[in-house]
Amino acid sequence: MTLNKELEHNFVELLEKHQNIVHKVCRLYTNNYDAHNDLFQEITIQLWRAFPKFRGDSKFSTWMYRVGLNTAITLYRKSKRTINTQEFDTVQFKISAEDYDDTEEVQLKLLYKAVHQLNDIEKALVFLYLEDKSYKEISETMGISEVNARVKMNRVKTKLRTILNP
Amino acid sequence: MDELELLKKHWQKDGVEDRQLTSKQIYPMLLKKSSSIVKTLFYISIGELAFWVLINTFPFFMSDTYRKNVETIYGDSLGLTILSFLSYAVIVLFVFLLYKAYKSISVTDSAKKLIENILKTRKIIKYYVVYNLVIASLSMLSGFYYASKNDPGLVAKLDTLNDTKLLFVSLLFIVFTAIFVLIIWLFYKLIYGILVKRLNRNYKELKKLEV
Repeated sequence: MTLNKELEHNFVELLEKHQNIVHKVCRLYTNNYDAHNDLFQEITIQLWRAFPKFRGDSKFSTWMYRVGLNTAITLYRKSKRTINTQEFDTVQFKISAEDYDDTEEVQLKLLYKAVHQLNDIEKALVFLYLEDKSYKEISETMGISEVNARVKMNRVKTKLRTILNP
Repeated sequence: MDELELLKKHWQKDGVEDRQLTSKQIYPMLLKKSSSIVKTLFYISIGELAFWVLINTFPFFMSDTYRKNVETIYGDSLGLTILSFLSYAVIVLFVFLLYKAYKSISVTDSAKKLIENILKTRKIIKYYVVYNLVIASLSMLSGFYYASKNDPGLVAKLDTLNDTKLLFVSLLFIVFTAIFVLIIWLFYKLIYGILVKRLNRNYKELKKLEV
């Protein structure tokens, strides 16, 4: 196997194993299936391009968080294709606030909907938080101080509470 | 329970199982072209460079009359040679700065650093456009002034005008130059305004966290 083929093989194997990270980024930053696939494609290209410089001194998954979020927040431009499929919102979250009851499932759907209303940076913080990352790692990924990451995270929680209980 | 804790409980397994890709599906994805903002900025900057280089040199090489006119009006002055040399030096400088700026953009930097580097690149293109607009308006105005003194045809025409009409013609020319510059500037603002709107918004949000 040539060196290039070997690199490609390693990369695809790693991506296949850790693809859920990319899917979750896509789910957070897009509203429909086509856009999800489009962003997944772009993140894959960015990961593949940066892969030769990946030294393995950090975990592949940790490295993926950074490239994935950077692509979603900064590099990705919506595809020119006219995207005309059903939005996730109508497929998954049919329940409106009036039908709200206390079951966990309903609460979850509303929560997802609320998270979708956050801005790009807030979504990134929530994502890393949900992935159980330390504030140190969150601060390094975003390029802000650890204290500020904590403060902002608390504000995001308050914001989510306000969206859920207006 | 904290809202996010509830979400966290379900986060790992929710909604992505049905989207799993096999390695066979991933391989072709590596060959697709990127549509990232960096790539778009890169093409636009190449376009900007080419546009101004063409604007400056195209008429000179394409039209014999234009070349002869320039030569009779301005002659073989040393000043013009130095100016042309300087303008090419500026282009080389901008190409170098742009190259350096693009090289510094890395997807593995922190989100803030990445946005900063992209915005820095955009700024270099902006300076290049401002530089060209200043030079374009200066050369239009000085060209008109120089021609009004040295171009026999124009001198004869201007001689027939009285002072008020002369002032009017000069003002008209200044207004025309200003409109020309303004249109290009607005066009440029529109393109980049749309392109980096989201980038600026996210950068502001990150900066806000530092206060």
